[in-house]
Amino acid sequence: MKIYDMDNKCYIDIKEVKNPKTKVEQLSHVLHCFENDIFEVIYDKSQPALVKYIKSLNKDLLYQDGMQFLYFTSGTTGLPTGVFKTKDNSIKQAKALIKTLGDRKFNRVVTTVPFVHIYGVDIGAVVPKLLDIDIWIKENFLPEELITEAEKEGTLIVTTPVFIKALNRIKKDANLSGSLFLTSTAPVPKEDGKEFHEQYKTSVSQLFASTETGLMGHKIDDEEILKIYDGVEISEKYNMLRVSSPFLTQKILKDGVLEDVKPPFQTEDIVEILNDKEFKLLGRSSNLAKIAGKRISTQQIEGIIEAMDDIDCALIKIRRDERALKDEILDIYVESKNGLDAKFLRKILKEHFGAMNIAFKIFNNVKIVRSSVGKKIGFKEL
Amino acid sequence: MYNTKKLVENILITTDELKEKIIEGLGLEDIGIDEIDDDMALFGEDGLGLDSVDAIELTLIIEKEFGVKIKDMGESENIFSSPNTLVAYINEKQELDKK
Repeated sequence: MKIYDMDNKCYIDIKEVKNPKTKVEQLSHVLHCFENDIFEVIYDKSQPALVKYIKSLNKDLLYQDGMQFLYFTSGTTGLPTGVFKTKDNSIKQAKALIKTLGDRKFNRVVTTVPFVHIYGVDIGAVVPKLLDIDIWIKENFLPEELITEAEKEGTLIVTTPVFIKALNRIKKDANLSGSLFLTSTAPVPKEDGKEFHEQYKTSVSQLFASTETGLMGHKIDDEEILKIYDGVEISEKYNMLRVSSPFLTQKILKDGVLEDVKPPFQTEDIVEILNDKEFKLLGRSSNLAKIAGKRISTQQIEGIIEAMDDIDCALIKIRRDERALKDEILDIYVESKNGLDAKFLRKILKEHFGAMNIAFKIFNNVKIVRSSVGKKIGFKEL
Repeated sequence: MYNTKKLVENILITTDELKEKIIEGLGLEDIGIDEIDDDMALFGEDGLGLDSVDAIELTLIIEKEFGVKIKDMGESENIFSSPNTLVAYINEKQELDKK
């Protein structure tokens, strides 16, 4: 297995890289750590608030025995949650995914994703490592470039729903039947899955997962029913999915405190379980929005807004626009005498999240309605 | 880099037209055309602050609105530097298509 740097048109070594910046450097370093059992903290260094938070943590908490990687995901309380994963978690998960590929043979992986999250590392790096096939990588892909790569027989594409939508929009006359696309957790709308399959004569396998649980289920193209991976056991509580599996984290770092995780893990995904192998995803009770591939807690953004002068209260609801590449838009309801200025908010969000253009719409002149226990439950127009 | 000076004399689309499409296509309604400088960086923390998903959206907008395909990301790093470089590229491509 080798890494091919498509920008510089050369193979590169798997080696330690201090402060990796590019995707190629991230991948080289991650594989170096994985191969040599070196623990590493994996996070998106382009997010200033996350970098600051991790630097503020006690280093003894970050380094735990027997762990391979520590990832950071946006916690529902607003602070990032650290999720420890073992090498065994990743290997068993990769084997379960490979089993779903059946008899199909692949000779390389082309990945559009970075290696600062579990999806990139586990699916974009560990899966090809176990398949012993090369990883082709490029810092930035355009939709046309991805089609050119996917036209080559035996290519496994590790990407996101953004590219599926983008390829549907350009409607190029191309037969990609020799390749298979894998996409991350955010759902590919049913119509998009169908259109993609019909336009390009290939399939998109949509992986349903979270940092804490690892892979849970998968579905193809316009299917609605998710099939669980080997080793995963599902149940529900209050219609929300609970998961036990060998891919599940055993330890998390929540609000600066280490917590052991005992299965089954309670997710915030609302599901209908059809049988012990299949379920339907009905929605998400969580307040996490997925923006430009990153999970952001709406509660965190509400906190940022409420810390501003003259703002009494903020409530954020996630609106979906399935036609847009950025399909989650934040509707921000603000209770304030003077209102919240969009330009100012954009500036503040940039200071927290770096170069991430968050799609939002502000609704001033509202009164936020709270429940008897103080939870924000809605708004009234004034 | 694209020669913006050479193309100024024979502009097919203007930077303001392009900025309008960027604002509309990327949902940046709170930003006015006059707030985006012709030489402002489109991506990264300084400048307009667009991200990688916006880059893909922008290539689709340019193809739909101006009929110009951007096929190579290596090439597009220069093209996407600023509204000026992007307009220069679009106009150059449109001129070539006419010939």
